[in-house]
Amino acid sequence: MNDQVTISPTTLSLNLTINGRTQALEIEPRVTLLDALRERLHLTGTKKGCDQGQCGACTVHVDGERVLACLTLAAQVEGRSITTIEGLAGEDGTLHAVQAAFLEQDAFQCGYCTPGQIMSAVACIREGHAGSDEEIREYMAGNLCRCGAYPHIVAAIRQAAQELRS
Amino acid sequence: MTVHDMKHAASDSARLEAVGGRLSRVDGPAKITGAAKYAFEQQLEGLTHAVLVGATIAAGKVTAIDARAAETAPGVLAVLTPDTIMELRGASDWLGNPPSQPTYAPLVREVTFSGQHVAAVVAETFEQAVAAAALVKVWYDETPAIVDLSDGKAGDGIPIDAMTKEWGDAEAAFAEAPVRICAAYNTPREFQAAMEPHGLIARWEGDELTIWEPSQWLDGMARTYAEWFGLPFENVRLVSPYIGGGFGSKALALAHSAVAAAAARMLDRPVKLVLTRPQNFTSYGGRAATRQTVAIGADRDGKIQSIVHRGVNETAVDGMWVEPLGSVTSIMYATPNFSSKQNVVRVNTVVPGAKRAPGENPSAFGIESAIDELAYELGIDPLEMRLINYAEQDPHAKKAWSTRQLREAFAAGAEAFGWAKRSNAPRSMRDGRQLIGWGVAAGTYPVRRAHGEAVVKLLSDGSVEVESSSIDMGQGTYTILAQTAAETLGVPVERVSVKLGDSHFARAGVTGGSRLAGVMTGAVHKAAGQALDELIGLALSDPRSPFQKLQANTLQVRDGRIASPRGEGPDLSIADFMMAIGRDQIEAKGDTLPASTTPEERYKNYTTIAMSIPHTEGDYSRHSWCAHFVEVRVDEDFGTVRVSRVVSALDSGRLYNPKLAESQWKGGIIMGIGQALLEEGIVDRRHGRIVNGNFADYMLPTNADIPDIQTISVGIPDPHSSALGGKGVGELAIVGIAPAIANAVFHATGKRVRDLPITLEKLI
Repeated sequence: MNDQVTISPTTLSLNLTINGRTQALEIEPRVTLLDALRERLHLTGTKKGCDQGQCGACTVHVDGERVLACLTLAAQVEGRSITTIEGLAGEDGTLHAVQAAFLEQDAFQCGYCTPGQIMSAVACIREGHAGSDEEIREYMAGNLCRCGAYPHIVAAIRQAAQELRS
Repeated sequence: MTVHDMKHAASDSARLEAVGGRLSRVDGPAKITGAAKYAFEQQLEGLTHAVLVGATIAAGKVTAIDARAAETAPGVLAVLTPDTIMELRGASDWLGNPPSQPTYAPLVREVTFSGQHVAAVVAETFEQAVAAAALVKVWYDETPAIVDLSDGKAGDGIPIDAMTKEWGDAEAAFAEAPVRICAAYNTPREFQAAMEPHGLIARWEGDELTIWEPSQWLDGMARTYAEWFGLPFENVRLVSPYIGGGFGSKALALAHSAVAAAAARMLDRPVKLVLTRPQNFTSYGGRAATRQTVAIGADRDGKIQSIVHRGVNETAVDGMWVEPLGSVTSIMYATPNFSSKQNVVRVNTVVPGAKRAPGENPSAFGIESAIDELAYELGIDPLEMRLINYAEQDPHAKKAWSTRQLREAFAAGAEAFGWAKRSNAPRSMRDGRQLIGWGVAAGTYPVRRAHGEAVVKLLSDGSVEVESSSIDMGQGTYTILAQTAAETLGVPVERVSVKLGDSHFARAGVTGGSRLAGVMTGAVHKAAGQALDELIGLALSDPRSPFQKLQANTLQVRDGRIASPRGEGPDLSIADFMMAIGRDQIEAKGDTLPASTTPEERYKNYTTIAMSIPHTEGDYSRHSWCAHFVEVRVDEDFGTVRVSRVVSALDSGRLYNPKLAESQWKGGIIMGIGQALLEEGIVDRRHGRIVNGNFADYMLPTNADIPDIQTISVGIPDPHSSALGGKGVGELAIVGIAPAIANAVFHATGKRVRDLPITLEKLI
């Protein structure tokens, strides 16, 4: 290891569009989108479970696609549209169909993986991958839940997909 | 069967919010919108970030630490080492035993396990702390480590006499029995792996310490912090509004907690320290690896004559953990002769800890596999085998069961699963290239009881507040306590707000051992009853009360309104009544302790587990029970095992909220599927290091691994177990799943796997 390694104090000025609002940030280039959301913008709904891209708790949408915020640098997503769990419900607080179905089906216990599950579920339905229980299980396999809410998550996505189709 | 009652309740909106109703989680809206702030998500002015440096050896000494590069890195405020961290006092253990050492060093010079904390870096930002921690250089003098139970240096360990259970002459009866089986069963080191990592924020204001930390036991952890820093208990406030999963791991203040609190003290700045995911595999103990031998002697008709059981679990070089391996062995089946003994073996690991059903879980893997082996030895159906040896009373305590709906569980589960259609011979059921196996196993968990307290406030607007320093880590505490207060007081549940997770609220003991619901519904029921008595007393006697002239003996409160039971006289909302008598609030603090309890005993009751009430106290032996029926599909060519169906019938007594109880049961079953097929901490034999300490290599069940699961409640209210008739829920369902799967794998393949997890190389 090089003892003389220097860590550049350089910061970047970024404008991130999060849940329809543009926010200015002065951060180091190495700051992940996850830490920018949680530590700088205090949007703590997006969770850090592993910080290694292995658990899915930090799933957000970038231009409508599901992305792991822990493996994304904040600087990579300037100019793109970011949606987090805080931006999923309507302006008037009306829950998204997936959120309402999670509540009704008891698709969570501790709630820590839940924002990531819900963001993944919304994308899963939008991608057309909620056609059967088996397909839902496969396309939700990247979001770990240690409380073991999986059968209820499948039920919630099945219910929400039907509601969104009709 | 109460499953029918539940369906009835679900269609009856009036009962939804009462105790026993299927009310959705009241904390749900906060959790699905991202509004729920977990403990270390609080925003504080001047927050700093700490990152730990862990030992890269499992045994030896730290000979030098070069922190110069880290200290001069941008943003770094301090590098703490064993030489520079402030001295802490020793703290008593969870039983209240005084500390073995006068001081406590959370950063060590003497390393006893890989990953043990040797230094910490505090910086202005998280990124700066991570980068600087990588610059800390540590030199070691490494000595040979005992890497695990199979290490040649491990030895036979230390006998734990308190674990010995014996009656009759088990060895002689086994030797004389006409039918005998004897086999060894192993479980590996497993991890709780809650999705929320361990971590905390510590802030000092003078001599007052506030800790925001996910916690299963605020009062116990506050006691530890108070003792470390020599503070009065009242000076420490622990805050833990939501907990992102615990499974036994979040009940104690740990070394990393001490580092963060010490750093905050030394810097006079709030410090946030969150363990990385790999650090979550080495900073606190998972379930200890275990070894058991189970020998059963029986008559030719299948009646057990003797059980001889020997167990071993690993513990740490510098800490003691006993995983009670004879706990299920000694009570599940009737036997005239029994012997169980246990040793613990010290290895170089962090001290193992509690993971969902510590003791009962591995114990059931042994006895519930062995009974299946005996059934096949005799050619008896495995379910019939269990009924032949059904224990009509507690064979160890020799006391009546408070309630034991296990026969009902076997019947209901077998019916729903279709067990009668099973052919008993191994490899006799298949679907193309898939071998199909059906297995059964039973599970049990004791009813751990304790005393609790709660505050219930009736406010001037007619709303109700419930306060307790107990917690909700997903079991549904917020919801069932709201239901309990609403039902007891006669107010709509939406008028009740429950406040948990702050040690300044009414005290609470540990949330562990599946005891919280029984303890806290009892305490809230009592406090709410006192508040109701005071409300009615005021209504009858206060000179300003509109009810005073009624000359009634009593009044009733329903749907938030006070009226005479006969319907005469005024009918007032609680809010209007409070205004009429000029009261801001009625507050009641209720507890379930005897009135003679001293303040010292109260403190001990909430901050240690020394005053837990034995489950065999008095005339009864109290346990939850379950029967699991599992179908597996094993690929004949590749040996891969998939669980394709689970039906479990469970007796947790009365369910306070079946919707939430079913979720916990399924969660236990799913964690059990992980235990059976996937989970194993793998230790590198050269350096004693966990090599798969992350979520990609320590495999948890994913959504794609889990089939539909049917749970059936067969419980009946158990008045001997809790005030409202419930027994434990959270840990029960994981007990017995792994043996049910192992038994199903044997039925599918003819191969008996006695060593978890059941991975494909063990089948081909």
